[in-house]
Amino acid sequence: VAKTSLTSPPWPEVKLPDPVEEAKHHAEVVRKVNAMIAAGHYGRLFAVVHFASKQWKITSEDLIMMDNVLEAECGDRIRMEKVLLVGADDFTLIGRPLLGKELVRVEATVIEKTESWPKINMRFRRRHNYQRKKIIVHPQTVLRINTIEIFPSL
Amino acid sequence: RYVRQLQRLQLLFSPTAADSRGARQFVEEEALDFARQNPDVVLYVSPRAGPAPVLLAEYMNGTVREELIASKTSEEIKQLATKLAGQSGLDIIRIRKPFHTDNPSIQGQWHPLTNKPSALTVQGPRLQPQ
Repeated sequence: VAKTSLTSPPWPEVKLPDPVEEAKHHAEVVRKVNAMIAAGHYGRLFAVVHFASKQWKITSEDLIMMDNVLEAECGDRIRMEKVLLVGADDFTLIGRPLLGKELVRVEATVIEKTESWPKINMRFRRRHNYQRKKIIVHPQTVLRINTIEIFPSL
Repeated sequence: RYVRQLQRLQLLFSPTAADSRGARQFVEEEALDFARQNPDVVLYVSPRAGPAPVLLAEYMNGTVREELIASKTSEEIKQLATKLAGQSGLDIIRIRKPFHTDNPSIQGQWHPLTNKPSALTVQGPRLQPQ
């Protein structure tokens, strides 16, 4: 049959590798990464954490602020679960969707619990002599991420 | 390592005025409990005959905040005191970003040339030998 412009799809044809070889390759990569973690060949770690209905990309010693009240007092250490991703300079560990608790440990301290700046909530309707003004101040919490640790339990 | 940012709490009130009744009750009942619960805050109580009663809070970066406690119950003063104890001395203005990092990128910041093949491997009309 003659080859026309529609015999083969326009994208380049990709040959998938052998599944057995792929599995061996995967296992070897996992073992290498495990060895690297166990030996400690990583510098700074960053993590993506789901906290207070938001996802944050955090490293150690950085500040995060949320618009709610946590039940912890100032100065309490908090361990964050729900870690989605952990990465270093050479490798990243991606969770589906979460990583195990034996793998990662993210610790944070509550630094301060303040209130936000006074926000103005005003409602106005023209020509109807209707205006309402309300000042809203809501509480905030500031956390500092102390450490992110990983353990070689892949 | 957590260091409370509040240095001093000064409670200035007058022993006779009517609007510092809550302050006097707070001093009698709850000041000791408050001082014991927050041992790293120094609480000064000084009665003076002057204007309205005031709660002064000094923080470690030098900012001083005054809060009026005239005609407030001792419970409200206690809540105010705990709130001030939890704050730090930064100005309460609009903050643009809810996060702050000193090292924003670990694996290298993205620029439009990452993940692109370098010029040596590209076969173009200029690089071919003529």
